[in-house]
Amino acid sequence: MEKSFQITLKIQRYDPDTGKSWIQEYQLNAGRILRFVDLFRKINDEQDPSLAWSSSCEHGQCGSCAVRINGKPMLPCELLVENAVADFNTTLFEIKPLTIAPVVRDLIVDLEKAYEKINRARPYIIEAKPTAETSAEYRITPQELEKYVAATRCINCFCCAEACISSSKAFLGPNALLASIVRIMDPREQEKADRLALLYSDQGVRRCHTSRACSFVCPKEIDVAYFIALAKTGRFNPYP
Amino acid sequence: MNRTLQTSATLHCDLLVIGAGGAGMRCAVEVLEKRPSIRVIALTKVPHPQKSHTSTAQGGLAAVDPADPADKIIYHMFDTWKGSDCTADQNIVKKICEAAWEQIVWLENRGMHFSRNQDGKLSKRTFGGHTLNFGERSAFRAVFEADRTGKGIMDTAWGESVKRGVSFLNQSVATELLFSDSRCVGTMVFLQKEGKFVRILSRATVLATGGSGQVFKVTTNCRQNTGDGLAIALQAGLPVLDPEAVQFHPTGIVGPGILASETLRSVGGILRNRDLEPFMERYAPKMKELVPRDLVVRAIEMEIREGRGVMNPDHHIEHVWIDLRHLPQKVHEEQIPEVSGFFKKYVNLDPRRELCPVRPSNHYHMGGISTNISGQILDSSHHPVPGLYAAGECAAASFHGFNRLGTNSILELITMGKFVAESVLELLEETPQKQAEATVEKSFGLFSGYLEGRGRENLGQIRAALKALMTAKVGVFRTKTGISEAIDTLKELKERAQKVFLSSKSLAMNQELIQRWELDNLLSVSLVIARAALERKESRGAHFREDFPDRRDEYNHHTLASMPVFGDITLTRRAVDMSVFNARDENYENFNLIERKY
Repeated sequence: MEKSFQITLKIQRYDPDTGKSWIQEYQLNAGRILRFVDLFRKINDEQDPSLAWSSSCEHGQCGSCAVRINGKPMLPCELLVENAVADFNTTLFEIKPLTIAPVVRDLIVDLEKAYEKINRARPYIIEAKPTAETSAEYRITPQELEKYVAATRCINCFCCAEACISSSKAFLGPNALLASIVRIMDPREQEKADRLALLYSDQGVRRCHTSRACSFVCPKEIDVAYFIALAKTGRFNPYP
Repeated sequence: MNRTLQTSATLHCDLLVIGAGGAGMRCAVEVLEKRPSIRVIALTKVPHPQKSHTSTAQGGLAAVDPADPADKIIYHMFDTWKGSDCTADQNIVKKICEAAWEQIVWLENRGMHFSRNQDGKLSKRTFGGHTLNFGERSAFRAVFEADRTGKGIMDTAWGESVKRGVSFLNQSVATELLFSDSRCVGTMVFLQKEGKFVRILSRATVLATGGSGQVFKVTTNCRQNTGDGLAIALQAGLPVLDPEAVQFHPTGIVGPGILASETLRSVGGILRNRDLEPFMERYAPKMKELVPRDLVVRAIEMEIREGRGVMNPDHHIEHVWIDLRHLPQKVHEEQIPEVSGFFKKYVNLDPRRELCPVRPSNHYHMGGISTNISGQILDSSHHPVPGLYAAGECAAASFHGFNRLGTNSILELITMGKFVAESVLELLEETPQKQAEATVEKSFGLFSGYLEGRGRENLGQIRAALKALMTAKVGVFRTKTGISEAIDTLKELKERAQKVFLSSKSLAMNQELIQRWELDNLLSVSLVIARAALERKESRGAHFREDFPDRRDEYNHHTLASMPVFGDITLTRRAVDMSVFNARDENYENFNLIERKY
């Protein structure tokens, strides 16, 4: 089925050398299964090599490419032209960088800054419980793992943080909370007190307004809000 | 515009890790676990370590569980040796296979979310080429984290590196290794975000820059895998081992190039050409779709070459079909749900009702910077270069020889990462030597050249021409004529590249500038792949010469390719290590030069 679309992309540009910001319009003829990252590449190759955008794996496993497309935070590596036209019911797309971190150039934001919140949530086992035998693996039943495995699928694309309606700058954001909740639920983690203190601090779950926007936009289809709701019920506290 | 580039700062550390993927981070964390006071800086080209290519590995991690009564380390060694088409080094095969399970436990104890069986232990699955009792039957040897094993490794290794205080320089590239009295003393680094060069002086430097898949038009590799590590090693006069050993996977999905798993064929998927003919019947009347990976790759390429492929109008990529329509609903739902999901997501079709477009996709570079068993980089006389190491896909020790088994690559990342750390720790025990000034930096000349380039050539067009060329002439099928033509064209492309005009002269986050540098790296890596492929007048593992379709004993050796200046290539040889065979222990005869038949 040969079919193509006349697409208009209005892309927000930013030049760090001059501090100037503007909207630039590009017209493209695009095949139906080209993805938005392919469109950016096409712009670079055919119209404007200076347009800066981010990507790495380009198949939804790394989350580097996240931008706002007609207001919705999403991964352009997963968005096909024909689906975009159908879902948004238009051939005009406004593409803007995420707002969760300062823009470096055009669509590229400083993820390092965004990750500071993840680091605060300590994305590792702080203190491991001893294993039954030395140099052996822990025993975790599939049923126990099932309780939190969905949360381990997070790729830190920050779409959820972008969509979150909490206006508090202090709020860690959904994905950082998820990073900590995974370890609270992970039977190998011994250090729960510090984690709970952060979760229930003024950076934590009480900044969440339960809009569930995080779950709605998650490209990995993680029900982020469910895990935050678990924390809100207080069931992690007191933890054995 | 004439701009003088300069070093904006000099940073000091004990260990510099270039590339923050699985291998690099495993190494950094091991060093810090043993000696927490070590100052480690890690560079990554991607926006954050978690975005590394390691994160995309799906299938699993091969390791013999000592608690498994059926499996033995020697079987894993045999499978790796046989899979390598007898070109892996047996000393490294032994060392990695023996260390494998300990590394699995290391990852698990630090929080990797492995899939579990009902006893709460790690689940295991079978994988192509992994067998029990020297090929008797399939081995359950691969532990895994659902279909995201690489992500599990990456998250764990990165998490531990945050915990242990590694300093990261994200979106940074190493442009040149610095030497003093033939010791590596540091690296020139370009910080993309700031648009600044810094010099990092380190007592130990580890290259862990990943693969070079962007050399080819369709690849499973991420956008940043442009062979940068190989290029800076070549530039420093260091040899690359077996550059011609490049693996292709038979069924990449048209568009992103990512893998449609081999499971599709094992559950009964049928490959069809433009005329919908089930063509595997012609190539392998008995086994059809179930023959080994490289045979399927060649059959598909042959169909495409002989005009029986289909052109995808959007991506301009020729492909064949895999037909899954006849498979029961249950198979679709239970055995291949994630692959069906990929076709839905990237091609927008329903595999239960429609044909799915696939074609061979570049997957893995077995070749890499030549190292010894401890990960020390070797110079062209096979002597370790003091202070310089490599691990991961950019390195070759060589564990995979001329063909890598599935699930062995991420095993190699974490084991070699650890071995390199052990070497680094030994080095750091020594009293630091007083260093003479490092050699003068070439990077400035290179980058000013890019910025001042004048001409009408287009970066994207040259890159596209290179990828198409390598895919057509130095890809799955290779011939003397094709490779020779490719070599000539690569030299022309290099000249054209010098006439690329950059539309933006900015230094800060100028993607054009970085892509211009990457283009040079791609050209260098392509040329050494092509030259080595021309020299090897035989077929071995993934290297297939149509004019020499059989493996030949006179080529039982590794290739070493050096190219300090583009085009100036020296090829030498190194013997394959056969220490397991030579030890004449029990079962030694399995480690002789055996046939790679399954």
